[in-house]
This record gives sequence, C-alpha cells and structure tokens, in this order.
Amino acid sequence: MIAPEPPVPVPTRFVPPPGTAPIVQLRGIAKYFPGVIANEDVDLDVMPGEIHALLGENGAGKSTLMNILTGIYQPDAGEIVIDGYPQSFASPVEAIAAGIGMVHQHFKLVKAFTVAENIHLGWSDTPRAVSAAVLERRTAELAQALNLTVDPAARIGELSTGEQQRVEILRVLTRKARVLILDEPTAVLTPAEAHELFRALKDFVARGNAVIFISHKLDEVLEISDRVTVLRGGRKVATEQTAGCTETSLARLMVGREIVLSDMRGRSAGAAPIGAPVMTLEDIRADDGQGHVVLDGLSLVLRAGEILGIAGVAGNGQKELTQVITGMRQAASGRILVDGADFSRAGAAEFADFGVGHIPEDRLHSGLAPSLSITDNAVLREYDRPPLSGGFGFNGRAATALAKDIAEAASVTVPDFGMPVRNLSGGNQQRLVARREMRIASRVLVAAYPSRGLDVGAINMMMRYLVELRDKGVAVLFISEELEELLNLSDRIAVMFHGRVMGVVDTAEADIDTIGLMMGGKRLTDDAKGRGH
Amino acid sequence: MINISDLTRRGFLNIGAAAGASLLLPKTGLISSARAAAPLPAVAEEDAVIAWGYVGPTSDEGWTYAHDLGRQAVAAAFPKAKTLFVENVPYSADASRIFRQFAAEGANMIIANSNYGDFIYDVAKRTPDVAFYECDGRNPLDNLGTYYVAHWYPSYIAGVAAGLMSASGKLGYVASFPVPSVYSGTNAFLMGARSVKPEATLQAIVINSWFDPQAAAQAGTALIDNGADVLFGIMDEAAYLQVAEQRGAKAVMWNTDIRRYGPQAYISSIVVDFNAWYVEQVRRRIAGEWTPTEDILPIGSGVDRDAWGETVPAETAAQADAIRDKIMGGWSPFEGEIKDANGNVKVAAGHRMTEVELYNWDWSIEGVTGL
Amino acid sequence: MAYRIQRIPSAPPSVALAARGLAIVLALVTAGIVLAALGFNPLALGWQVLRTTFGSSYGLEDVGLLVIPLIFTGLAVAVGQKIGAQNIGAEGQFYAGAFAATGVALFVPGPMAVILPLMFVAGAIGGAIWILIPTLARAYADVNELITTLLLNFVATLLVYWVATGPWLDPSGRALATTARLPHEVPEFWGIVHWGLPVAVVVVLLVGALFAFTRWGYEVRIAGSNPQAARYAGMPFRRHLIMVMLLSGAIAGLAGMFEVAGTVHRLQGGISNNFGYLGIMVAVLARASPIGVLPAAALMAIILNSGIVLQTQGITVSTVLAITGLILFYTAIGDELARYRIVRA
Repeated sequence: MIAPEPPVPVPTRFVPPPGTAPIVQLRGIAKYFPGVIANEDVDLDVMPGEIHALLGENGAGKSTLMNILTGIYQPDAGEIVIDGYPQSFASPVEAIAAGIGMVHQHFKLVKAFTVAENIHLGWSDTPRAVSAAVLERRTAELAQALNLTVDPAARIGELSTGEQQRVEILRVLTRKARVLILDEPTAVLTPAEAHELFRALKDFVARGNAVIFISHKLDEVLEISDRVTVLRGGRKVATEQTAGCTETSLARLMVGREIVLSDMRGRSAGAAPIGAPVMTLEDIRADDGQGHVVLDGLSLVLRAGEILGIAGVAGNGQKELTQVITGMRQAASGRILVDGADFSRAGAAEFADFGVGHIPEDRLHSGLAPSLSITDNAVLREYDRPPLSGGFGFNGRAATALAKDIAEAASVTVPDFGMPVRNLSGGNQQRLVARREMRIASRVLVAAYPSRGLDVGAINMMMRYLVELRDKGVAVLFISEELEELLNLSDRIAVMFHGRVMGVVDTAEADIDTIGLMMGGKRLTDDAKGRGH
Repeated sequence: MINISDLTRRGFLNIGAAAGASLLLPKTGLISSARAAAPLPAVAEEDAVIAWGYVGPTSDEGWTYAHDLGRQAVAAAFPKAKTLFVENVPYSADASRIFRQFAAEGANMIIANSNYGDFIYDVAKRTPDVAFYECDGRNPLDNLGTYYVAHWYPSYIAGVAAGLMSASGKLGYVASFPVPSVYSGTNAFLMGARSVKPEATLQAIVINSWFDPQAAAQAGTALIDNGADVLFGIMDEAAYLQVAEQRGAKAVMWNTDIRRYGPQAYISSIVVDFNAWYVEQVRRRIAGEWTPTEDILPIGSGVDRDAWGETVPAETAAQADAIRDKIMGGWSPFEGEIKDANGNVKVAAGHRMTEVELYNWDWSIEGVTGL
Repeated sequence: MAYRIQRIPSAPPSVALAARGLAIVLALVTAGIVLAALGFNPLALGWQVLRTTFGSSYGLEDVGLLVIPLIFTGLAVAVGQKIGAQNIGAEGQFYAGAFAATGVALFVPGPMAVILPLMFVAGAIGGAIWILIPTLARAYADVNELITTLLLNFVATLLVYWVATGPWLDPSGRALATTARLPHEVPEFWGIVHWGLPVAVVVVLLVGALFAFTRWGYEVRIAGSNPQAARYAGMPFRRHLIMVMLLSGAIAGLAGMFEVAGTVHRLQGGISNNFGYLGIMVAVLARASPIGVLPAAALMAIILNSGIVLQTQGITVSTVLAITGLILFYTAIGDELARYRIVRA
C-alpha cells in the first residue's frame, strides 16, 4: 500500500510556455442546414489554462459549433486541429478519446442509478468484475483526485440539479477530458451552486486544461472567462480579452453594432392610429406546472394599431406570456382585461372568439397537428363556423376550399392538400400558420418568433403581414430575439428577464446598449430610460 | 329456437329407446343401436377421410393417447383411407372451425374425443352428409352419434380392492367437474369399497380441469391430509399418483398403465381401448352401413381394470377379480335400494340401474362428500 | 458517386401498399422455407389453404364469421388511437359486452325483436362501463390507460369464467362450463354468417363518417394528432378523450355481444378467443383508420382461417401462431421501410 501523495498546491494560474499550440483550434468551420446558415467561417482558438467564453444570442450558432467540435455534427467546411494536429471526429466517442468532453444543458444521466453506476456506465475503464462497493470506492477516488465532491452511493434522482451537474462533469473528466465544454451551465443552478462550479472550473484549468463556456449572460462571462468569442448569426464577430470588456461592449457585440434600418414603423395615410388599450395584463404570475415561477409580476398594455415588441433572451418567460394571453395557461394571480372585461379565467376558445390570433413559437408542437392533412391544419381556427360547419357536421369540401385560400395568401405551393402537414418545410408551415392566425386576429395577434426558420425574403413578407394587421387597428405582440427586427417594426419594446418586464421603451428613443443591458438582467433606471439620447 | 332441456330429454329418450334392444346387455361386445335415419352412402376406401379432433395432445399418455392408438388402428386396418387429426382442440368457436375445416377437406367421418356441446352439434347439423361422433356427448342427430365407456364397472372393481386395502376407510377423489362421468366414478368406487368395508366414505375435490398436474397434486395432498389412504380420480396425468407414492398411500388411475410414476402406490387403472370400436365404425361408414349410434363400450371390450399393482395382495386381487367375473357374467352391483347423499332413496329396492341411467348419473350416493 | 438512405416523414400510398404486398409475400416465403424444413410441402399446403378458404363456401363462411369480432375489436382500438388512447383492454370490454348481453338474453323475457336490440345496447354499455375507470383515471389523473385497460382484461376474463361455471351455469346440468343456450340468436343470412357482419360494416362506416364529416370528429382528430394543438385551438380535450374512450369500449363490447349472440350462443370462459388482442393487430394494420379496419380485419380473418387449415394438415398450433406472427412482423417492417428512400449523397 503506497501512502497517498501529499496534495500539491495548485498554481493560481497556468501559463503555457511560449510557442505552445492551442489545445483546440477551429479553422473556417461552416455548417449549413436546409435554408439555414448555422455556422460560416468560424475560427476559434482555445489555449491550455484558459476559460474561453462563447457568447451569443439563442440561434447564434454556439451549440452547433460545439456539436461539431464534439463529433455530433460533421462540418461542411473547415477543420478541427487538436494540439496542432488536424482531426476529424465521427462521433462523440472519438472526441472524448481526443480529450474533448461536453456537459449538455440536459444531463445524460440515468436517474434510477447511483452516482457510481452513472460514472462507470459505458466506460472502457470500468473493471470487468463490478460490485457496488468497488464502483463506489473508485468513484470516491476519482472525485477526490479531480477535486469534485460527490456522494458515490446516492441515486441521481435524489440529487439537486447542481449536484447532478457535478456528476455529469465528473463523468466527462474521468474520461480524461482536457477540454471541458459547458452549455449554459448556470441556467439550472442557484447562485451558490454557480459559484462552486466556477471554483471547480478554475481548479481544472489551473492544471493546464481548458474550458469552453457557452453563455448569453454577460455578468458571468465577465466573471469567469479569460477570453470571450462572440457569435452572431452563425459567424464569429470578435474574440476579446475579457479583462478589456464591459457588459455594454459585450452586449453591443452580441446584439449587433450596425442595425440596417429598413424602418417599417411609418404608417400609410389610411392606417389606423394607435388607439385604446385592447388587452391589459396586471401583475401576472404563473408557474410552469413544476413549481418554477416563470412569470413574476408582469404587467403590459396592448393598444389597438400598435406593435409591441418583446425583447429578451429566449427562456425568460416569453413562451408562458404567449400562453397566458391566448388562454392556454391560467395565471396563478393577476388580471387580464380585454376591452374592459375580465378574461383572467377565460380559455383558449374565448380568446380566439374575441379575435386573438396566435403564431406560436414551436408551431409544429402547439400550432399544428403534424400527422394530419394540410387541409385539417389550415382550418384549425375556422372549422367551427360556416361554411365549414353547420351545427354538427364538418364539410370537408369547404375545408379544402378554405385551405386553398390560406395557402394562396401565404404563397405556399401545395401539391396535395391531403398530405400530412409535417411534409411541408418549416418555412411553409410558418407562413401557413401566420396566414391562418391573421384571419382570426381581428383584435390581437400574438406572434412569437415568427421569422424563425425563414429566409430573408420570407422574413420581409412576415414583417409586412404584421404591419398590415397593425394598420388595420389590430394590437400586435411581437416577440423576437432579433433586435434589428424589433427596432424596425415595433412602436414600443418591452424587455423581459426572468419572467419580469425590465422596462418598456419607445422605439424612437431606444438605445441598443440599454436594451442589451436589460436583456442581461439590468433593470431600466430613470436616468437610463433613454431620455438623454 | 333450440331449447336445451327438450334436447337433453330427447337425447336421453333416444338412448333409452335403443337400450331396449341392447344397452341392457352390457357384456355382449359392441353395443349399437341403429337409429331410424337412412345410412350414409358408401365411399371407396381410397376416398375415405376420417378426422379426429382431440381434446389434449397425443403425447398425454392418457385419454388422447388412447384415442390416437385407435386412429392408428384405423389407419392400419384401412391403409388406403386418409386419417387427419388436430390436437388440443379448444372448447370454443375454434372447435367448430376445425370440425368445419375437416368437412371442407372432404372428411367422411369426424370424431371428437370429448364433449364439445354446441360446437360440434351446430356443425353436424349443417353437414348432414358427414358422420359425426362425439365422445361423452348427449345431443344426438341423424348424423351425430355418441360413444363412451362403461367405466363404472371397473371403478366398482377397483373400489373393492381399495376397500380391502384402506386402513382408514376414507377414500379420496380428484374430480374435474361435477359431471356424470365423475358422479358415476365416485359412486361406483365407493359402492365397491363399501361392499367389503361398509363404513367407507369418499371425499372429492373438484379442480375444474382434466389436466392440471399442480392442482391435482394439491388436491391429492389435501385429501391425504384429511385422512384418505386410497386416491382415485379422473385426470389425464399422474400427479396424484406421485403424491400417493410419496405419502405412502395408494391410488387408482385412469386411461392407461402409468404405474411407473408410483409403483408402490399403484393399485390399478381404468384402462380404455377404442381400437376395435373405431375400426368397426369406419368399416360401417365405408361400406355404406353407417347410421349414428349411442354406444357405451362394455367392460372387457373397450374398458377394464389394469393388471393389479405390485403391492396389491394376491387375495385382494383374487377377491376383486371374482367380482369382475360376476359382472362379466351379467351381474350388476348397481341395484336398489340406493340413497343419495341426503338420504333420499333414489333407486328403489329391486330396481337395477340401466346403462343409460348410469351414463347420466348426476347425484352422489350416501357417503360421498365434496361434489 | 455515393448513395445514402434518407427517411421521409410518410410514405406515398403506392409505396406503402407495395411494401405491404412484398412483406406478405416475403413472410409466406419464409414460412414456406420453415415448413419445408419441417418436412411439409409448402406449395401443396398453400394450395390447400387457398382451395379451402376461397374455393368452398365453408372457407368463405368461416372467414365471414371470423371477421365480425375482428372488425369490432379492431375498430375499437383504432377509435382509441384517434385521440391517442391505447385501448389494449378490448379483450376485457369484449367479455363485459358478452356478459351484459347474455344477462339480458337469459333474464329479460320478451320477443326477439325487442330483446336483440336490447342485447345490442347492453353489449355496448357493458363494454363502455368496463373502460370507464381507465378512462376517468386517464382523463383526470393522467394514469396510463395501457396498464389499466390491460389489467382489467384479467378481471373480466375471470369474471366470465366464474359466472359461466357458477351462478349462470346451464341449469340442465349437461354443459360443463357454459350458460344455457341463449333463447335469442342473431339470425344468419348466409350459411353460418349472421347479421353481425352487415351491422359491423355499418358501424365502421358510421364511425368513419363521424370522424370525417363531423365537427366533433375533426376536433378528436386534432386532439389525437397533437393534444397541444387542441389546447391551442381551445378544444375540450378531456371531454373528447372521455367520449372517445367510452366509444372504443362500447364497440369492443359489441364484439362480445355478437360473438355470444351470433356465433357461440352461450356465455363461457375463453369466449373471446383473443379477439381483443387481435384487434390491436387489426388496428395496427389499418393504421388506425376506421375504414382501413375492414380490409385489415379481412386479412386477419383469412390468416386465422388459414391457421385452422394448417392445423388440420398436422401443423401444430404453435407453428401456425409463429407464421401468423411472421406475417404481421414483416408487415410492420415493410411499413417502416416504405418510409426510406435511397438518394444520391
């Protein structure tokens, strides 16, 4: 029995000797999906001993880039260089063999198994003869060596999210990972847990390893990273030394410096003016059904003939907001007033009858019945009224006629209206849903990320749809991650963060830096309200 | 509409009417009672198709095995005729389908070795040009006959041996269902035992199956626990014989010689042999002489006791065989006065039960419990 | 030039049909090889099956009789699938329907013209009651109906065994384990085939029309394809779920009613002959389309009848079951493969 070595004091900072090759080097990476540029011409160097933040809005191409690095996707162009040698990974197994491991947002752990069992699952180093005691002892040794505290005998299901994340990290590190990729790791953590994680990451890079830290939170990027690379629209915008950055400069990089203004806020002569409030939300609170508060005292006013933009990083309550104001989800508290009437307890049918149209964020999951025909889907909002339905019946011929009208208005060419709607491309689905919703949106249209998945021409068309409704006097709630879109279209912009409205600004007076800060969780204070700009 | 009570009475009367001629003479070989129907036309042997639907597998070493020996005897006797069989015919509408399929394949005669009730009756009614036989059946038609064995005589003989060998005077019986075969078996067995041990009693346990070794073994164990030292039953397998062997009790079995499962416990078995009868029916069918019959194969020509077991004392065997000789000579033990389990006189003094009454026996005699 | 395989969301109907046909042919070829290895002549057997199934009124009538319960149970399962409910309790609902119909027939006096419709209603209600608890558990507590409906099958099976051998046992004492013959029978119109067949076809057409040509049917289709979309459009998902599941149970109950009143004429244990479970396969073959249940049930009836034919040729029940399973297995594979195509990479 050899006595354990005394712990070596770790240096606070690992400084690679001069001339050391980057541990990971990406050169000219491109990845295309049908109709979408996920990544193009992306370069990235990660040095030993550094925590490298990858910053960008949702859809900026961060996850795709990391999925390429870990072998989940193959790049369409460019090369991956590890320690100075070009590599190509056909699968995550090959990537981990080269020392590159990733901890995903959704953990890949078996809930019913213990920590020790999860650590040893699918691992070539797992001894052939295993017993619970052997696995737990090995796990404890590994955890100690890597300075991560875990209880080897605990079942995953009994652990907190932070502890589960630690197990996931331990699992990756035991595979001798030298580069640890973390995909928005703090999204699921309490501040205390996040702090603990940061300490562990600093320990890890101090041993000459590297961390790639994916995030869209400005403050934590500043706190943890040595360098930061910003992606926007699939391209690399910049790589900076974090020490030289501020939240403002990062926000500007993230949301875009130069906004190409094709302002659509101007109104034609016959357009309806901004009118009376149509829908008022007062202090709405809601949870996601699992006890997490997702709307936390939100108040908004939607006015006739006005486009109200909602800015914010996805996942800050936008989805729940759309559900609450279309009757799909009941608020736990607060009031919804529609034309002065209390709609707080109303269901989706009542909202639709009132004239609320809804282009949902995940159209295939909530706005469409994928296995049913295009006709069935196109008439989802009008099946219950003439000419489709007189009392009990459902007129299939009238339904097809209506579906043809909608498809024509949406400029979607449909060879066969009996074909399942899932056979249509995402863009065509989106246009069909948008046209369908516009038909019933006589008072309010809720449009959540309506340009997602569309090409530039289609986005323009979608924006014109919204303007068309606005000019007819409909109140439009327009949720987007693209600040450019919001600025071009909205009359006012509200910024959401953690289920709250951080502030509402008139677009005419809006300042991108302020909006970027609010998206990162800074509340709009009086002196920053844009009066001085 | 078909009324079941009328039907059964009709079946009863038919056998009764025929009995006038032959059923009262149970020891003169095959008993046949021609019905009024015209015989089915003759078929050439090479065109003849004879089909059997079996209730169990031919490998059961019991009831179905014995019937399949009969089928093999037919195949040997009429080598140009074709024989078909299906094993494990369920008691369900699938039975009808199988019988109909036999007819579709040109069967001239279809034989079921168990009671399939309406499932064979309805098919027979619709295919009047095919001869049907249903073992232990009770609903005859112009083309549907019935056959069974007079097992009550060997049961009585085995009962005599059991009575002589039982120390406790308590007999056990593993019963399938409360049906006439079981009533006649239990009654005959106990009457045989009481002829030598008047205080003997019999306890029956119903297990709702003809083939369920586990249940039969449990029933056998329970009976022995209750003091029985000789077991009888009507099972298609040997489970309770093995129980008796382990517990040092004795057992009387059914169908075939299965003494090797319990050589010490084995007293005898009610062995059956359908070979000659099947060959005769097929001969009549081919020759164009066939009309339906309701036959009960008598002792010595289709049913008998098996050779006595190795632990049966010679004098016991001799005493029981003397009774067998008497029966073969025309004597019947089933003569009044016989009381049922409630003490009511069911067979008046001096009345000798007819074969039909024995076949349809549906009440327990005094001393039988559990049915 | 490299090629790769691409999956498409749904196969064109012609390809799907061709894949089905090919699957059945391949299954028969496989079965033939196995039978040849067992020492049978597969061609002669095949001829025998064809000749006796389609070349005689016996075979056609048998198929006509077999298809009746298969249509009902297949339709019951398909109806459940319309709203995404997996009713694998058609077996239990079959028994419950048979039980209820028998109760009416045995204990309610009256002329046939009154009693038969009453039995029909009782069968449907019996089946619906049998699925009531799984339905409410699914609708209000989100308890998986797969488990609850399955478990109730065993309860129903044993319940019918018990009444048929106990309280309702044929009082004449002649039947081992059945009730008395029902005083009223569904009349036959062609050999042994009773009026349950046309009624089954009419029920299929009615249910098909219900889903295709009514508002309610449209809402159910949406809810079955995507409950989220139903919520989005403000449809009462729960109410529809309850209605559809009860309808499914009622249809399975009708299968039991017609089997006892038209085919077996007595209630007994084992009367279902697994028709409830076979209905699941029928629904799978029909791709949950009510009208598709008709050809699917017919195919299943032909397969089952072929099984009877093979049994009389000395092939054991287990071999027959294996061949039946093979055909269904190949069909399932064919359905899946029809959704792939080879494209140039």
